[in-house]
Amino acid sequence: MAPHFGLPEFGFLLRGLQWTMLLTLVAFVGGCTAGLAVALLRTCGHKGVEWITRIYIGIFQGTPLLLQLFVVYYGLALTGLKLDAFVAVAIGFTVNASAFLGEIWRGAIQAVPRGQTEAAMALGLHHSSRMRDIVLPQAIRISLPATIGYLVQLIKGTSLAAIVGFIELARAGQIVSNQTFQPLLVFGVVGAMYFILCWPLSWWGSRMEARLALASQR
Amino acid sequence: MQDNILIEMKGVQKWYGGYQALRDVNLTVRKGEKIVLCGPSGSGKSTLIRCINRLEAIQQGSIVVNGHRLDDSIKAIDVVRQDVGMVFQSFNLFPHMTVLQNCMLAPIRARRIGKSEAEAIARKYLERVRIGDQAEKYPAQLSGGQQQRVAIARALCMQPKVMLFDEPTSALDPEMVKEVLDTMIGLANDGMTMICVTHEMGFARQVADRVIFMAEGQIIEEGAPDAFFRNPQHARTRQFLGEILAHH
Repeated sequence: MAPHFGLPEFGFLLRGLQWTMLLTLVAFVGGCTAGLAVALLRTCGHKGVEWITRIYIGIFQGTPLLLQLFVVYYGLALTGLKLDAFVAVAIGFTVNASAFLGEIWRGAIQAVPRGQTEAAMALGLHHSSRMRDIVLPQAIRISLPATIGYLVQLIKGTSLAAIVGFIELARAGQIVSNQTFQPLLVFGVVGAMYFILCWPLSWWGSRMEARLALASQR
Repeated sequence: MQDNILIEMKGVQKWYGGYQALRDVNLTVRKGEKIVLCGPSGSGKSTLIRCINRLEAIQQGSIVVNGHRLDDSIKAIDVVRQDVGMVFQSFNLFPHMTVLQNCMLAPIRARRIGKSEAEAIARKYLERVRIGDQAEKYPAQLSGGQQQRVAIARALCMQPKVMLFDEPTSALDPEMVKEVLDTMIGLANDGMTMICVTHEMGFARQVADRVIFMAEGQIIEEGAPDAFFRNPQHARTRQFLGEILAHH
């Protein structure tokens, strides 16, 4: 007889949720770090470097994430590099996030008024100081709503990790559903968990956006 | 005499793609001189001063600032920008920093002086533009006139040899123009070398040693304010003066 959805099953989902959160965290922190580098290179003023970065962004934005995960997990395995499922998807998501966040921040950097950079140049500030002290603090503010929006997409997107056998929240739900034959209940709980994770972020993001819109009116 | 020359532009030509923005510009500025640049919009006056601190590159000719030849090297650009302060039409204060931080940043980063010394310098110049009591505020909390005075103080904190003003009062409400002009007059009286792009002909009469008229990227005419306003030589100058003086 199939077990009913009870505490042990709920616990299993919670562990899935933990993995989802951990994967999101790793991909987001890694993606932010690498994405910052991507954004800075993409706007460095050197044509060749900007061009290469543009191709990098294009490749990861222009191909399915699923495919990228396959390449990291199965493709690297073929070359003899057998990665643990978590490590593989963490790498895949990090690299993908670096391209998307890099592009978001590229836009934000270029949205900082030209006069800010000119004033900094006229004061004799070098490129590194202009970026660190003047452009980035303003660009981060501008990009905050889009960055939070991307984080929400990332949380939900981690369900793709199931494809290489990594058991995160969605995959855990599938397993429990198959065992208990209560898909509606199980996926209802899974959905609620995603919602609790994502909704506050979305709310925070739109509040940020409203505040920024208000600030730019002044 | 040669030692007194602060800026020397010779045969300067500049293009934006196929459009020629500066045509054979020759200009010598001596230490302590106050120069007002005027001319119709698109005549190249802003472009000219933006070439002096290399916000714009030139394609031909030479620019020497305080004995340093300006070329494409970062070192040369650096040296020149240390000597040249600039004030913009749209203020361009850093909105995420307080007034005091706006003034302290460049001395700390570019001159590498200590924080307390930078603060002392910043407060001194904020006092000088009579805005010392607003040091802890953010730019958005100030009026346009106050913001522009902060921008002047910020440039002065680098202790430049020459100040460039790019239509400093054009973005201001009429009642705030005077406070900014008064600050600039004070600066002029203290002996600062200044090049001002402005349509404020009253200011030109009062402080300029020379008024230069530009059109289509060329210097058409220059002279002492008295002669320039009373007896302009070129028809183009007369037409321009007729147009702008009619408004005043």
